Amino acid sequence: MRNLKLKFRRIELEMSQTKLAEKVGVTRQTIGLIEAGDYNPSLKLCIAICKALDTTLNDLFWEDGENEKQ
Amino acid sequence: MKNNKNNLDERQEQTLLRIEHNGCCLAFWGLLAAIIVQIILNFDFRNLAGEWIVFMLLALYIAVGCMKQGIWDRRLKPDTSSNIAVSLTSALAAGILGFVRTVKRFPDKIAGSIATGIAYAIMIFVVCFAGLQFSAQLFKKKQSELEKEPLENEEE
Repeated sequence: MRNLKLKFRRIELEMSQTKLAEKVGVTRQTIGLIEAGDYNPSLKLCIAICKALDTTLNDLFWEDGENEKQ
Repeated sequence: MKNNKNNLDERQEQTLLRIEHNGCCLAFWGLLAAIIVQIILNFDFRNLAGEWIVFMLLALYIAVGCMKQGIWDRRLKPDTSSNIAVSLTSALAAGILGFVRTVKRFPDKIAGSIATGIAYAIMIFVVCFAGLQFSAQLFKKKQSELEKEPLENEEE
């Protein structure tokens, strides 16, 4: 399932995938795959992404019941 | 200059581990296939020594590693019925291999080849079943030890 919350938050901060990748210490491809829903990041990486985007795990990674089933 | 820093991020690390896992499987089954082919072609066992040593080391490393971590198998359970099934499969494969090897060497002695195949099968069944039963006991003992181990952050 695509992580649009992450993508929108990144765009909101006018941050490129490359810039976010640099900030959290991963490759741009990894950020792209997380946004596309093709890679499940570890909790450690989720927290690093949240800190880089100045937001919380709930805001970026929590899905309610209906979305989870999609 | 020596660089000990890991250049990979966690996703790349997972991908690399998956590639290495596939490589390990390829090496394991490839070596087994090479050994079987050479046995069928009646190669001298001395010519198999290299492959056999690498294969056994690989098998031993996996077995010991899994045992230490309390891991048995993805699908099979460490019980007698599973061990009998695995041993019978191995015995059947060994029996066929023994028959083919002997009949290739002595094409006119079919009865003798069948007897050799049966002897191979019985021998492999006994060794395999005994080994599996012994390993299953070790595994259960290790698993109960791991279950009793207190967690670092567990309250006294």
